[in-house]
Amino acid sequence: MASLPKRIIKETERLVSDPVPGITATPHEDNLRYFQVTIEGPAGSPYENGIFDLELYLPDEYPMEAPKVRFLTKIYHPNIDRLGRICLDILKTNWSPALQIRTVLLSIQALLASPNPNDPLANDVAEDWIKNEQGAKNKAREWTELYAHKKN
Amino acid sequence: MESTDRRNMRTQFQALFDTLRDPQSNSYLLELFASMIVSPELQEEWLNGGDSNKVKGCSQEFIDSLPRVPRSEIPLKESCPICYEKFGDDEYPLVAELPHCHHYFDVQCISLWLSKHATCPLCRDVVNQKTFDNIDLSKAELEEDWGMYS
Repeated sequence: MASLPKRIIKETERLVSDPVPGITATPHEDNLRYFQVTIEGPAGSPYENGIFDLELYLPDEYPMEAPKVRFLTKIYHPNIDRLGRICLDILKTNWSPALQIRTVLLSIQALLASPNPNDPLANDVAEDWIKNEQGAKNKAREWTELYAHKKN
Repeated sequence: MESTDRRNMRTQFQALFDTLRDPQSNSYLLELFASMIVSPELQEEWLNGGDSNKVKGCSQEFIDSLPRVPRSEIPLKESCPICYEKFGDDEYPLVAELPHCHHYFDVQCISLWLSKHATCPLCRDVVNQKTFDNIDLSKAELEEDWGMYS
């Protein structure tokens, strides 16, 4: 494996020494560009009390290119599709090398707190969200119970 | 037989997709339609293809012409926002300053970014847009007037 840029080492150190509340990111011991991530569902959202598993990968071009992130836990959300892919501008066109793993994960946490059905990735979910917001939120809550239950 | 039809339809649809795709318009319907007949991987490819057309880097000339911060003015304790290295850790630091927003970066880091994009990583200011603030327009009009009345 090519040597790890200092930036990635610094980011990893800070993620461990000064973690973001409600978020964990642990590098894989065999591949320091691959992180296992957990995000707690934000309080007051349908994802509250859920712990969501994600994977994050830093491509060779990072930080010139955005990290690749996807949900591993099933989630009912208009901007996350059934493959766990996330529709978030900073992961695509609005990426900037001044962003970092920490800010990306914070943005994903914010996306859980405020879904955006007008810029959907999962079209069926988005339609449901627009037509019947309360019903959609109930379903999101059910899925959180079913798939993202806190492990004791 | 069926797969050939499907392939034709896909080709036609991609042409339609490319024609109708307008970055300003809401492409929700188009994407909804796409999601019914096109695999997610292909959809992503198309969408990314559209995006990559929008992203334009700066010319090498522009990048080479970025003002270098004089050694005495480099904030040695600050870090490059791209590689996180302290400017002062380099024995011979080369720091560039972006023209409008005055943000500082390692020359090497910002050159790489600007070869593919035209925005400041920190504030998203479009860096290579020409501004005419420095041109004295009143003088230009004056000269034109002279031309008219002389």
